[in-house]
Amino acid sequence: MKRQGRFDRLVENAARRIAQKTSRRSLLARLGTLLAGLALVPVLPVDRRGAISRARAEEFAKMAQTTDPTQCNYWRYCAIDGYMCSCCGGGPSTCPPGTHPSPSSWVGTCINPDDGQAYLIAYRDCCGKDSCGQCACLSLEGEMPVYRPQLNNDIVWCFGAPNMVYHCSSAAIVGRA
Amino acid sequence: MSPHRLAATAAGVALLLHAAAPFAQERGTEGLPKEAVLEVEEEHTTAVLGPASPHWVYVLDPVFPHLIASKVYVVDGDSVRIIGMINTGYVPNIALSPDGSRIYVAETYYSRGTRGERTDVVTYFDGSTLEATGETVLPRGRFLVVPKKPDAALTFGGRYLLSFNMDPATTVSVVDVVEQKYVTDIEVPGCSLVFPTGERSFSMLCPDGSFVDVAFEPDGTATIRDQEPFFDSEDDPVFEHGVVSEKDGRAFFVSYEGMVYEAKIEDGRMRVAASWSLLSDADRAESWRPGGWQLMAYHAPSDRLFVLMHRGGRWTHKHAGEEVWVFDANTHERLQRIPLEHHSITISVSQDENPLLFALSEEASLTVIDLGSGEVKGVLEGLGDSPFLTYVVGE
Repeated sequence: MKRQGRFDRLVENAARRIAQKTSRRSLLARLGTLLAGLALVPVLPVDRRGAISRARAEEFAKMAQTTDPTQCNYWRYCAIDGYMCSCCGGGPSTCPPGTHPSPSSWVGTCINPDDGQAYLIAYRDCCGKDSCGQCACLSLEGEMPVYRPQLNNDIVWCFGAPNMVYHCSSAAIVGRA
Repeated sequence: MSPHRLAATAAGVALLLHAAAPFAQERGTEGLPKEAVLEVEEEHTTAVLGPASPHWVYVLDPVFPHLIASKVYVVDGDSVRIIGMINTGYVPNIALSPDGSRIYVAETYYSRGTRGERTDVVTYFDGSTLEATGETVLPRGRFLVVPKKPDAALTFGGRYLLSFNMDPATTVSVVDVVEQKYVTDIEVPGCSLVFPTGERSFSMLCPDGSFVDVAFEPDGTATIRDQEPFFDSEDDPVFEHGVVSEKDGRAFFVSYEGMVYEAKIEDGRMRVAASWSLLSDADRAESWRPGGWQLMAYHAPSDRLFVLMHRGGRWTHKHAGEEVWVFDANTHERLQRIPLEHHSITISVSQDENPLLFALSEEASLTVIDLGSGEVKGVLEGLGDSPFLTYVVGE
């Protein structure tokens, strides 16, 4: 069933997101919560979050394109915030000369409008020079407050880089969601 | 200056006098209004601000295009003019002493601008002269993020500055601002931001939707007490910018979907006492929702809560507000809707009996509204590059 299939995918995304940020033990605890929550869903009159979330994801994908990473509607930028590295001498998964990709990142899920598939995107910052200042974009799909750091796009994602000065934002594919 | 340059300058001065002379002879100064007659030689002075006014607003501009060189503007809300500025470092946070006589800045520097050795520091500024008077190094660092107010805060009474740190382990640095001394870092695994709850206590928000309450002794030893979740951090998280009123011993947090969670502060702990919605069914039908950056303010003398609202779907939680909605924090009744000509991401309300509302737009303008008359007192355009936070005395 189409609806069920999409909902499964949503849950899988959530599980993968959680997997990225928690230890195995707390992951199991969180999955338990998630499954308990799921069991409740059919008795609710409206699957409000699911419906809205799918609608928004599809909305971004509808207006997204896959050819020009200097534009804010490039498909991988569904939850990005900052200056696009593609406008600064780099690319969606390349840091501009003299800057360094953070080994840490937060992870979002974007739909590629060409194949209709959802992909996990690692939003890594390129670090070590002052702001690039070009192509400022802000997208908020799935973005959460900083107390859920691995889903937040305001944090300077330069943990582990040689230097934590923010230069620009990149969006590398790290898997299929 | 070389003798050659000096001669050239002297010639220039002489020329100036020569040119002015016929005019003076012809017209003289007799009969001119007093204010039109300039002093021949005036003393060059530096302004001092004097005691802080409740109608001043301190506007923090992280300067997105040049993040290592941020600024804080001091603006007088009565005249709607800049009255001073301080330079701050990379993604800073500030806190004002309770009387506004001192400004504390938590900031980060690299020794060669964007390179070299990193130093995280609390810098003390005199609130009247706006000069730096001292500093305390934060040895564990600080949280580097697009500045949010609860990244750093003073405890009740103003003795300790709490600076949140994520490296990515989460700690809170405690600085005694009277002794100007670093006390300790308190490790609070997984929880973020700081909301003061007493003279030596604070709460933080945790990923499962709960508060954790932390109390500490002057020597830095801490007690950490967990709480049960009070909101759904998966489906409807609360915004980071909650407001805490030391005066009233209460705090308010609002969620993406417009739920308000009110906490009473008891014995240094956040006790969630009530929850209610900002939105009626009619508001929801029109897609109203809270959003922006520093999206909420509280006016303690009148128990009013102010929230930035816009129309939009889910995941528009940082969109600028079209209106400010004003609620009675006790009855939860909406008292007023204030439309904003310049849609705003950040608001503050002065804490006096004749309050002003300050609203920052994404186009770097500050609108000042007299909440008594409802009149727009003025709009300051071009206030820096990307002003994001506002602070008033006595919040």
